[in-house]
Amino acid sequence: MTSIKRFQSLIPLVGLLLVLAIPGTGFTGVHEWSPEEVRTLKTLWIKSLPPVPPDPSNAYGDDEHAASLGRKFFFDKRFSGNAKVSCGTCHREDYAFTDDLPLAHGMGTTGRRSMTLIGSAYYPWLFWDGRKDSLWSQALGPLESTVEHGISRVFVASVVLEHYREEYEKIFGPLPTVEKLGQLPARPAADDPSAYKAWLKYSLEDREAVNRVYVNLGKAIAAYVRTILPGVSRFDEYVAAIDEGQTGELGDIFNEQEAQGLRIFIGKAKCTNCHSGSLFSNGEFHNLDIPVSDKMPFDAGRAEGINLVLGDEFNCLGPFSDTKGKKCQQLWFMDTDTRKYNGAMKTPTLRNVVERPPYMHAGQFSTINEVLDFYRRSENPDIEHQGLTDRDMRALEAFLGTLSGPILSLGE
Amino acid sequence: MKRVMLGILILGIAGWVGCATTPSAHDDGDMHIPMTQHYEGSLFKATENGEFSVEVLLPDEKVEMGVNKVDLIIHSKEDKDVAGARITVTPWMPSMDHGVMEKPVVNEKGGGLYNVKNVVFTMTGDWELRLEITSGSTTDTVKIPMPPIGAMGHTHFMKAPDTSQIDTSMENDSMKGHFTVSFKSDVHPVPINRLHSWNLSVESADGKPVKNARIKILGDMPEHGHGFPTEPEVSGTMEDGKYMVEGLKFSMPGWWVVTFHITAGEMMDHVSFNLLLQ
Repeated sequence: MTSIKRFQSLIPLVGLLLVLAIPGTGFTGVHEWSPEEVRTLKTLWIKSLPPVPPDPSNAYGDDEHAASLGRKFFFDKRFSGNAKVSCGTCHREDYAFTDDLPLAHGMGTTGRRSMTLIGSAYYPWLFWDGRKDSLWSQALGPLESTVEHGISRVFVASVVLEHYREEYEKIFGPLPTVEKLGQLPARPAADDPSAYKAWLKYSLEDREAVNRVYVNLGKAIAAYVRTILPGVSRFDEYVAAIDEGQTGELGDIFNEQEAQGLRIFIGKAKCTNCHSGSLFSNGEFHNLDIPVSDKMPFDAGRAEGINLVLGDEFNCLGPFSDTKGKKCQQLWFMDTDTRKYNGAMKTPTLRNVVERPPYMHAGQFSTINEVLDFYRRSENPDIEHQGLTDRDMRALEAFLGTLSGPILSLGE
Repeated sequence: MKRVMLGILILGIAGWVGCATTPSAHDDGDMHIPMTQHYEGSLFKATENGEFSVEVLLPDEKVEMGVNKVDLIIHSKEDKDVAGARITVTPWMPSMDHGVMEKPVVNEKGGGLYNVKNVVFTMTGDWELRLEITSGSTTDTVKIPMPPIGAMGHTHFMKAPDTSQIDTSMENDSMKGHFTVSFKSDVHPVPINRLHSWNLSVESADGKPVKNARIKILGDMPEHGHGFPTEPEVSGTMEDGKYMVEGLKFSMPGWWVVTFHITAGEMMDHVSFNLLLQ
C-alpha cells in the first residue's frame, strides 16, 4: 500500500474527529438516524396523520351540533337497562377512552376487551373483528346488546323523544310521533323471540321511524367520536426535532434507552409490519394465536366479522347509509375469504398504550412486558420478533412510553 | 422447481424407452396386479367405470394458489400404459361448485405419461382435478382431490432474497411471452394501508394493445403467506390495451408479489410484479 492510499484511508476518521471536536454538535450515537430510518420515522409521527377522512355514509359526521349532541348521548346512562351504563362506561374519558378490565362489562360481561376510541375515525373496520364499517353503525351495536346497554331501539327512541326532542329536531328535523311508544324491549333480535315478536307488532312505518331515530343517534355519537384524536407525544416531538435538524436536542427529548427502543421498533423487531402509520396500526386483522382462558368459547374474530358486516342492515350499502355503491369502497372491495381470517383480530393503535392496560382482545396480558415476551416467543411469520434480548425488551417498553400524549376530544 | 424438471426429464426418458411404469417388477417377471400405484407419493385413483387408473404426480407433493404443473400417468384396466389418449383436465372447487377460466394444456410424453401445464387454482381451499379420458372408443372420468391449499395462501413461507436482487420493474413480459404488461399507480409511491387504483397496460408480443382481455389479480407476501386484505377488481377494457385495477391495498411494508392472470382470445398467460414497500 502506498503512503498516499494509507493517508486516504484516514480521511473519514479525521472527519469524524473534527465533528466530535466542534462544540455544540456533540456525538449523538443512539440519536443518529439514517435517511431511510428518518423516512420510516416520518410515516409514524403525528404530522403524517391526514385530516379525519370523511364518512360518506354519515351526512352528520362533521356537523358540530351533531357532535355536541352526540357527546351528551355518549355519556347519558339513561340509554341503558339499569340506568348505570353509558358509552363512557367502557370508553372512559379518564382512561384513554377504554377501561381497565380484561373483558368489557356493561349490564353483563362481554367476550372481549373494550377498544380505545383514539383515532377510531380513521379505521375502515370497527371492533376487534371489524363487524362494523362505520362509527355510527358501531355505536348502535352495544345499545341492543344484552350484556352492554341492554336496551332496544324502541327504548332509545323513547329516551330521545322524552329528553332530547328540541336538540334532535334542530339537527335531524321533526321527530316522528310513534304511537304507543313505551320503554318496550322491542327489537329485531335473533337472540330474543319475545322482543322480536314485539317489534313485528309495530307497523312498517313505525319501525322505519324508530330505526331512523336510532340511526340518527348513532350518527350523532359518531360525530362526537370523530373528535377523539391523539395529541402530540414525546415521540412526535423527537421526530420533529430530527426533521428540523435540531439533533443536539434529541438527547433532551429521549433518553438513550428510549432511542434504542425506537430503533428496535422500526428495525429488528419489525413492529411496523402491523403497527404502521401515525396511529401505529394498519387497521387489518391478524391471528397471533394469543392464548385465551379455557372457559372462553373459540372466537373466530374477523372470519365471523366479515359475515356480520356483510349482513348488517346498518352497513354502508344499507338503507340508512347516506351513500351507496362503490363509494362504500372499503365494503365493496372487502376480502370475503373468511378462511384467511379465522381467529384474526384487528391491530390496535399504540398511541397512549402504556396508560391503558390490560392488553389484547380478551385482556390476556396485564403488562406491556407480558405482551413483548409473548411476541418474543411467537413463531408466527407476521410477528418475527424472535431474537430480542432482555435489554431489547426493556428498551422497547421504554420507547412505548413515549407514545403517550394528550388525547383531544370535543369538550362540553 | 429443479426437482420437478428432473422428475419430468426422468419420466420423459422412461417414456422414451417404452414404459413409464419402469418398476423392477417387469425385470423380475412378476405379474402386475391391475390398478396398481406405481409411484410413491402419487395421487392414485381408478376412473368411475374402472376403465383406467390415474396417477397424479405433484411437484413436492403439493399444489399452490396460482399456476401449477402436474404429471399424469394413465394405465388401462389391464395395467398397460395408455398412449394417445385425449384428456381434458378441469380444476374444480366442489364447495363453491365452480372451476376456473384458465384451461390446462395437456401434452403427451409417451409411455402413458402426460404433462399438464397451466393448472390454475384461484383461491385457497379444497380443489379437485376432474379428468375425462378417451382412448379409442373408451371414455371414462375421474375426480381426484388435491391436497388442500393452505388457509394462509400457501403453507410454507419464503425467505426474502436479498432485496437488492429483487426486480421491481413496473413493466414485465408474461411467463410464456404472450404479453408485455406495465402498471401505473394513481398514488406515488405505491402506498401502504390505503385503497388505490392502478392503470394496467397490456400489449401483445408484437406491441399491439390487447383488447377485451379477462384479467384476474392475485397478491402475495411470500414471507408471510398472505395476500391482499381486499378483493381488487380489474375492469373491462377502458381503451385499447388499458385496464383499471381498483381496490388495491397493501397492509404491510415489505416484499409483495402481484400477479395478473390474463386471458385474451386463445392466449392465456400470467405476469408478476415485485414491490418493495416501505
